[in-house]
Amino acid sequence: MREESRFIDKLKTYIVYAGPTTFVFFTVIILPFLFGIYLTFTSYDGISNSHNLVGFANYIEAFKDTKFLASFLLTLKYVLYTVVFTNVIAFLFAYILTSGMKGQNFFRAGFFTPNLIGGIILGFIWQFIFSKLLVYIGNNFNIPIFSTSWLADPVRAFWTLVIVSVWQNSGYMMVIYIAGFMNVPKDLLEAANIDGANAWRRMVNVIIPMMIPSITICLFLTLQRGFMVYDVNLALTKGGPFKSTELISMYVYNQAFLSQKYGVGQAQAFVLFLVVALVSVIQVYFSKKMEVEA
Amino acid sequence: MKFKKTFTVFLTVLIMTLSLSGCSKSSTTNNSQTQTEKKQVKITVMNSKGEIQTQLEKMAKAFMNDNKDITVEVIPAPAGQSPFEKVSSLYSSGNAPTLSMLDPGDIVKFKDKAADLSSEKWINDSFDRSLDSAKVDGKVIGFPFAVEGYGFIYNKELLDKAYGGNFDASAVKTQKDLEEMFKKLEASGVGSIIVSPMDWSLGGHFLPLSYSTQSKSSDDVNKFIEDLKAGKVELAQNKQFKGLMATLDIMKKHNISKSSPLSGTYENGPEALATKKAAVWFMGNWAWPQIHELDAENNSYAFLPVPISNDAADYGNSEIPVGVTKYFILDKEQNSQEQQAAAKKFLEWIVYNQTGQDYLVNKANVIPAFKNITIESQDPLAKSIKKYMSKGKTLQFMVTLPSDHWSKNGASMQKFLDNKIDVNGLAKEIQEYWKNIK
Amino acid sequence: MMKKKGSITSIIKFLFLGIFFLAYMVPFIFVLINSFKSKKEILLNPMALPSKINFTNFLTAFNKMDYVHGFTNSLIITVFSVLLIVVLSSMTAYILVRKKWKFNQAIFFVMVASMIIPFQAIMIPLVRIYGSIGMLNSKWALIYMYIGFGTSLAVFMFHGFIKSIPLELEEAAMIDGAKGMQLFYLIVFPLLKPIAMTIAILDVLWIWNDFLLPSLVLIAPEQRTLPLSTFYFYGTYTADYGLSMAGLILTIIPVIIIYLILQKYIINGVLQGSIK
Repeated sequence: MREESRFIDKLKTYIVYAGPTTFVFFTVIILPFLFGIYLTFTSYDGISNSHNLVGFANYIEAFKDTKFLASFLLTLKYVLYTVVFTNVIAFLFAYILTSGMKGQNFFRAGFFTPNLIGGIILGFIWQFIFSKLLVYIGNNFNIPIFSTSWLADPVRAFWTLVIVSVWQNSGYMMVIYIAGFMNVPKDLLEAANIDGANAWRRMVNVIIPMMIPSITICLFLTLQRGFMVYDVNLALTKGGPFKSTELISMYVYNQAFLSQKYGVGQAQAFVLFLVVALVSVIQVYFSKKMEVEA
Repeated sequence: MKFKKTFTVFLTVLIMTLSLSGCSKSSTTNNSQTQTEKKQVKITVMNSKGEIQTQLEKMAKAFMNDNKDITVEVIPAPAGQSPFEKVSSLYSSGNAPTLSMLDPGDIVKFKDKAADLSSEKWINDSFDRSLDSAKVDGKVIGFPFAVEGYGFIYNKELLDKAYGGNFDASAVKTQKDLEEMFKKLEASGVGSIIVSPMDWSLGGHFLPLSYSTQSKSSDDVNKFIEDLKAGKVELAQNKQFKGLMATLDIMKKHNISKSSPLSGTYENGPEALATKKAAVWFMGNWAWPQIHELDAENNSYAFLPVPISNDAADYGNSEIPVGVTKYFILDKEQNSQEQQAAAKKFLEWIVYNQTGQDYLVNKANVIPAFKNITIESQDPLAKSIKKYMSKGKTLQFMVTLPSDHWSKNGASMQKFLDNKIDVNGLAKEIQEYWKNIK
Repeated sequence: MMKKKGSITSIIKFLFLGIFFLAYMVPFIFVLINSFKSKKEILLNPMALPSKINFTNFLTAFNKMDYVHGFTNSLIITVFSVLLIVVLSSMTAYILVRKKWKFNQAIFFVMVASMIIPFQAIMIPLVRIYGSIGMLNSKWALIYMYIGFGTSLAVFMFHGFIKSIPLELEEAAMIDGAKGMQLFYLIVFPLLKPIAMTIAILDVLWIWNDFLLPSLVLIAPEQRTLPLSTFYFYGTYTADYGLSMAGLILTIIPVIIIYLILQKYIINGVLQGSIK
């Protein structure tokens, strides 16, 4: 492409290629988002026709809220586990399923299936499995760990969330990793083979460096989904038992719509956004750095 | 090559869908044309009692049969979404339902948007006090849709067996009587009670018994709530609160799911009753369709009060809470005069038309809040509630508590049920909750 | 020797996958089994096989959901949204990669950053804004919003992919006289096939299954998508399990078919793409 030097030419090129996308993107996401931020400075309650500016009152109340902080820490823990497990499992699946084994299409389709169903319904199905099926198995085969419902115990209920999220997301990440594996040039691998590199060395020295872009995407997506998980949380544990598994999205949501403190909820959502943005920027920054070095 | 092929496939699908959508569009314009000829009015009704969605749809159909010029559309609030949230998002989107079924505590938030219903015919036929939470600034803005009550649902067949003859519900008036009843049931070889751990049941229904039993006078109850907010109440020293939690301790001891008290779901209740694993369940009359579905032959179910002391004369030991739990508000902001008139007609039809009454009482299992409706309900739980009402043995159903009361205090109640905190810890958490309410 | 070792590893691999596969399938097996049972049967023993194979749940679900209508709406919304997302985002990503203007970097950053905006934070403002200009309750408004919500991820994925395409290809085509849009559609777009298919599949699944956004935007029953209609026979306290599970299966069958068709294609495409 020739280089546009004049501003007007640049603008023309931009509008032709990216104009519609930019317009839709700003009107659907950025505009409501900014409007939402504006609402955090008001006494808007989600319903009334009029509202007053209240300054930082909502933010002050948001930070005074100790349960908000507790929920945040719990979410961090959840994000850590889901990101690690999802990516390790998805990577393993993708690795095995690109090694040319029999029935790999069948397995790929199978592992991806959880993504075919919406989160609310998945949560209901798993609730039934944890509270009925496993309890039945535990009682009939004398497996004490299953004899009472996992959803009734705060620690185990937390793990049900991790398990279901990993189960749901690993297939999605697997697809991205498979595309990454497919992009590792065959000649590079052959060259490594000829040099006598074993499977481990090939993985560390050839495959992983070539996979950095896929890893970046997957880490980013799992981080983002982890921080924002809502459907599964709602349908599986509802935050229970006794609010011990209320992750941040659900907390904010309840704050806005259940406690009907709309401004405070919106302010906390904005704080959540800032934190996630920070984490993501750091993650992408480091991944990109590795990409350059590799 | 292959990519091009799929692209052609995509294009074909696109053209197909375009033509399909074209079809559907033209058919809708046809409809609207015929509609305008007949002056069709369309109203929407937001239903927040998901369990009667089908029945309400049928009811709307029956109404449309009688009123050919009105179309009624019933939209449910999604499970997991509060009615307030659904209605407020519909208002924001400019698609406010003509009639919205709200929880009593939410009505006041819609006072600027709701039409004044004070001059409607049904006002005079509604039960005393049933309009209390629908009155804002002296105007009635809510139509009382459903009366509900709760307590211990018991299976009389099993209790008759346990007592070796005819069980007399009025003989159970104290905590001692209750525990003896549980023991007799267990001796007869069936489980006694199932305690469902849902926060809305424990925090929204069980705990408020300790408020409503404070006094017969609703002013005193309101004052008690005000004192809670002001931090002036020591719940751990409060007789009613302590008594209620002592009752819960008895329930905990005999709970058939005490090995894992928090694992149950709502569905376990009717299931335990129908399979005779339990004979008593703390729940309300809304559970009848589920019980009936699983235990179709048995019509012997009824309510027992939750005793809070060992003195049979104490207020609350022979009363059950009864109140209007759902109101309709009529939108005047985004609906036309014609739509509002049609909605008023619909409400009137429910109250005064034979078919409307039949649908309300028999199909939707709703206990109406109107004196003129005399249809005898087939639902034994509704009958039981009516019996308590006619004897005046009712408590206030605390319907206007803060919107997150059931959720936050339900969590504390769950901790207590699971023995994670004792009664003092529970009292402290509940007091803490109230202090933060403005 | 070598061969034996190979077969042992492949057995281990197969076992590993097999165990996971079972764990991944269990929930679906239960949905399928219970879709043939009555509500009573399910509540009393959810694990038992159906006493008889009974399609009444499916027939009732099909009629109650107004399946044909819901299916048509879902199809229109999904096809248009996904096509537009893929076409528009690939062009956008292309210009963002190839033109290293400061403005482009800023836009890219904003788009990536926007992916972490919680939907709940813009839900009410979104319906308020679009409600006030009367743009709600139409499929086309929903498609418009899906483009808005879908572009950032699509641009992000295209961006990474386009970067790996050597510039020489375009330079060679330019010497041959291709320019502007031609260059993009004839040279670059075909190369994007693997990532475009991936994005298309992921977006199809997202949009086909999405519940919250259509529930806010589409109000009239004749506009409902399949997940909305599936939902509309759920109760608040008790769902009619058998019926809703049958409805669930009816809803996911089209997605499974699409996925199976495209999955075969995507693997071929990715393979060809990587040989190039």
